[in-house]
Amino acid sequence: MRLAADRLLGIVLIGLAAFVAVQAMQLEVPFSYDPVGPRAFPLGLAILLAALASVLIVKPGTNEAWPGRQLSVKLLLVLVTLLIYALLFTNLGFIITSLLAVASLSRIFGASWGKALLTGGLMAVVSYFLFAHALGISLPSGYWIEPLL
Amino acid sequence: MFDFLIHGFDVALSPLNLGLALLGALLGTLFGALPGIGPINGIAILMPLAYTLGLPAESALILLAAIYTGAEYGGRMSSILLNVPGDAGAVMTTLDGHPLAKKGLAGPALGLSAVSSFVGATIAIIGLTLFAPLLAEVAVMFGPAEFFALMVFAFASMSVMMGKDPVKTAIGAVLGVLIGTVGVDSSTGVLRYTFGLPELYDGIDFVVMIIGLFAISEILLMLEHANRKDGNDGLPPLGRVFISLKEVMACKWTMGRSGLIGFIIGILPGTGASVAGAVAYTTEKRLSDKDNSFGTGNMRGLAAPEAANNASAAGSFVPMLTLGIPGSGTTAVLLGALMLYNITPGPMMFSERPEVAGGLIASLYIGNIVLLALNLPLAGVFARVLTIPRWVLVPGIAILAFVGVFQLHSNLAAIYLMLIIGVFGYLLRKLGFSLAPVILGYVLGGLMEQNLRRALSISGGDLGILWQSGISLGLWIAALALLLLPWLLPKLWQAKTSKA
Repeated sequence: MRLAADRLLGIVLIGLAAFVAVQAMQLEVPFSYDPVGPRAFPLGLAILLAALASVLIVKPGTNEAWPGRQLSVKLLLVLVTLLIYALLFTNLGFIITSLLAVASLSRIFGASWGKALLTGGLMAVVSYFLFAHALGISLPSGYWIEPLL
Repeated sequence: MFDFLIHGFDVALSPLNLGLALLGALLGTLFGALPGIGPINGIAILMPLAYTLGLPAESALILLAAIYTGAEYGGRMSSILLNVPGDAGAVMTTLDGHPLAKKGLAGPALGLSAVSSFVGATIAIIGLTLFAPLLAEVAVMFGPAEFFALMVFAFASMSVMMGKDPVKTAIGAVLGVLIGTVGVDSSTGVLRYTFGLPELYDGIDFVVMIIGLFAISEILLMLEHANRKDGNDGLPPLGRVFISLKEVMACKWTMGRSGLIGFIIGILPGTGASVAGAVAYTTEKRLSDKDNSFGTGNMRGLAAPEAANNASAAGSFVPMLTLGIPGSGTTAVLLGALMLYNITPGPMMFSERPEVAGGLIASLYIGNIVLLALNLPLAGVFARVLTIPRWVLVPGIAILAFVGVFQLHSNLAAIYLMLIIGVFGYLLRKLGFSLAPVILGYVLGGLMEQNLRRALSISGGDLGILWQSGISLGLWIAALALLLLPWLLPKLWQAKTSKA
């Protein structure tokens, strides 16, 4: 029998419930007038979660179709793009990183290189003026760029 | 009794707030019309901007509420024109809306759905005006035990009504509540689930949570549709853009009935636009489908769900404003937005912060008129939004998400957390979860624990206080009945038919 995704999820959730419960038990509670304390609520939730997860293991529901190989690669690419966008955001500044991130996302979502770069350039500059000048949001100018300016 | 409304119109008619209602209506319609982006995603993406503008609480709420109602209007575009519902609430709209568009009646269909949205919303806003202050007066008597029971009832009603799979809805809510427990415990100062990370001491931030959960997961989900060739790249011709009075009058009772149904369903906590649309559609089919034309492009089949889902949007403000219990995923987001302003919606809001409660209700009246005025003549313009390619849309959402989170926190930890939550939201959606229970759990969980602990410190730890009063006992019984109903009904039915 193939292990249904929901059964696996159920097992993971029981693990999570156990983790939540163990963590809750380890909380050290200073003296207080609160008869319940910070432990009881997460403990109750853990028990509820474990019970619901058991139902899921016994009676798994339906899932959406999982992405195939090609799609998984693209998903990963999108995530990597967003991660790099985040990593460089404060270092290279808003305009450069946005240009790169937008161009890359555009490309992944099916634009040609030319269109992707054009979208990147336009969107980075237009949104910079919109956010920084019209709305007065302070955007990162880039730690690595600042000394060069 | 209606002092709050007069005061509210004073607030809502100030030039700033009037402008914001207009802006929100426009942005909401645009975002709602964008393929795949429903009201809740629209609000999630636009909310940080509302904070950026440094608005007072009532103005921010007016803006967000206008976006919400605007998105409900805009959601019908892709349902009618492309047969792709923007969110769960618009599923029923596709049934008769798209066949109408295929017949070359896309223009009249858009016009009629705008009018029915208006009628449905108007009925519900009047209902809200009449009903909310009364409910608030009752709710003033609620103590912590009653509130706790009320939230149990809300979660029970949500599990049964929302989504296809009650177990997953409940799991989603529990996960949301658990995410809400991260951070400092307010009454003892103990750190919970922070794993020594100072960034987590204040808990998982609301804006980070909703942008991650809705915007980032949406980007990941859209990748699938970008790949899938669904062959509906071209828009059907709109045909004539105007709707005749005769066509509207033919549907007047449909709109009236459906508006009322939508309002009542909207009030029930946890049951949003999708349930309202479905109930109104099936009711109307039973009542007025004489020639079996529902599903093939019947105007009434379009008017019913549209009136109902807009009515339920307004109706879901009733429990949010009076009890602090959101009636839908989107009002949960609005509730969270209010809490960022240190306003906890509840029975006292009508007396203590009348400018917020009244201003919001008054702005709903104004926004609704603005929306009708925008949507009738501009349907063709909004429909163009549907042709925006994903390779422009997705990077735009990404920039808004990054700027939104960064300008609130100015640190990268918040952005990483947003990405992690986005992946989590994507996985949940792939596993067949709906995200609304997660956000409801996250918003309500903290209040639920507080009320539980407050109740038990009043009673000195005696659990009996939780069901001592008539109100709380009634709520517990109602919650239990709701949970057992779907399980009992078929059995009763079977017993009956096997006897006969």
